[in-house]
Amino acid sequence: MTITSKSLAALIFVILFGGVAFTTAMGWWATESTKEPVTFTEGEFAGLPNPADIRGSYTFGDIEKSFGIPPAVLAQAFNIQTDGPAFAIKSLEEIYATGEFEIGTASVRLFAAFYNGLPLDLSTDMYLPESAAVLLKERTLTPDQLAYLDSHTIPNPAADPSAPTPAPVQVTESAPEEESTERVIKGKTTFREILDWGVTQETIEQIMGIPMPNALTTIKDYCTEKGLDFETIKTALQAEVDKAGQ
Amino acid sequence: MKLFGKHLFRPRSIWIRKIVQWFFFLLITLISINHTLVENGGGIPFLTTASLHALCPFGGVVTIYQYATVGTFVQKIHESAFILMIIGFVLAFLFGPVFCGWVCPLGTVQEWVAKLGKKFFKRRYNHFVPARLDNVLRYARYVVLAWVVYVTATSGTLIFTEYDPYFALFNFWTSEVAVGGLIILGVTLVLSLFVERPWCKYACPYGAVLGLTNLFRVFQIKRAESTCKADGACSIMCPMNIPVDSVKTVHDHQCISCLECTSEAICPVAKTVVFTTATLKPQES
Repeated sequence: MTITSKSLAALIFVILFGGVAFTTAMGWWATESTKEPVTFTEGEFAGLPNPADIRGSYTFGDIEKSFGIPPAVLAQAFNIQTDGPAFAIKSLEEIYATGEFEIGTASVRLFAAFYNGLPLDLSTDMYLPESAAVLLKERTLTPDQLAYLDSHTIPNPAADPSAPTPAPVQVTESAPEEESTERVIKGKTTFREILDWGVTQETIEQIMGIPMPNALTTIKDYCTEKGLDFETIKTALQAEVDKAGQ
Repeated sequence: MKLFGKHLFRPRSIWIRKIVQWFFFLLITLISINHTLVENGGGIPFLTTASLHALCPFGGVVTIYQYATVGTFVQKIHESAFILMIIGFVLAFLFGPVFCGWVCPLGTVQEWVAKLGKKFFKRRYNHFVPARLDNVLRYARYVVLAWVVYVTATSGTLIFTEYDPYFALFNFWTSEVAVGGLIILGVTLVLSLFVERPWCKYACPYGAVLGLTNLFRVFQIKRAESTCKADGACSIMCPMNIPVDSVKTVHDHQCISCLECTSEAICPVAKTVVFTTATLKPQES
């Protein structure tokens, strides 16, 4: 069989776009990470989204889709000047970068959990700004949740001049997949990266209490798989990363 | 065009390939611009908002190791890149590296710069590199391929983005572009004034992967010795400097299946250099 250039051109289009169309129809084609958290598999909350799986790459729009919290409410809660659905929640860490207590993805997990009355492991410290606490207290909270909230609320930067001063509240909608050059452990950080940052395998295994997997595995995925609390492990590892960087 | 069965005009180039190349260049340009617009709250309707990484089949190649060992993709790589890699392999298995010759926008841009080079240097164009050095350099892209696969596998990140001229070409207006990529893009474009497709010949890791299919692809470029006038036109026209006039079947790992050497383009004798699965008649003695 001999084919001409015109036939070849047609075949290239058919195979290329046909392949894309077929895989799209099969649900295999994806050009970005899934922004849907895992759901609870058992108990009274089975089938509901698990706020512990919220990741830094999620946007306000993604939170609204999964947890029904409007972007305007999130903006009010975290005292920022945008209610755009494209706002990536990892940007909160930059906005509150200079504060004494970390406001970031964990804070959004806490807010989403309390806002919807969903369970969340409260054995680690997660903080919320006062504006978020005010909104949550209008919802129905258990005594335990109220107590946690009271002990983990920090004053809004603008409301209390003596409070740790956060960075100016300017919203820069960061690129969804922009890679950070900072040595900060996030949801997508792999063991390889913290090894490269100077933390030894022995230290990592000592912190986790179990052997380290393939270095390309993300820390968060491994913690989830092994039933370890990511926030606790992350905090301990981050301290080692900071120590190694000094 | 034919009149009384005779050609009045014989195209010296595969014009439809130029159209296909333009199409993919514009498509990738628009997608890259759209990705930037979406990040800034805008966007072009009905056009994908995917990043360039999500649409790069080579991203699928470099993530194979991590996918096989950990079950996840390298950061910034998604299912789409893996699917495009498979489609690229299907095309290459059938037709050779048509992705390089017909689709890749970086190849297209190099060809556009080559037009200037041909005007300046006429027949000397694409013959500046001494043959012995050229023969060795042609294998450099396999070294690049091995390095890229190794560093991606060990780091779990797309380190090649820091040096990738293709990424730089479609992201030079963003903060994501790396200086290394811009420098290599600049060097590639300058070299294109002297050598046709220098990046493809000497450095492209994806071209290295696809080039291997030239050894076993289904449709092959074949030359009928029985009708060949041995004028060397096919070899002169070949952008990759393959001596088509001295082989019966092109198995060279650098062929990009552009078909510029065939009887549809430069070869003046009908059905002498063809793209086929058939066995051509041997030379009559």
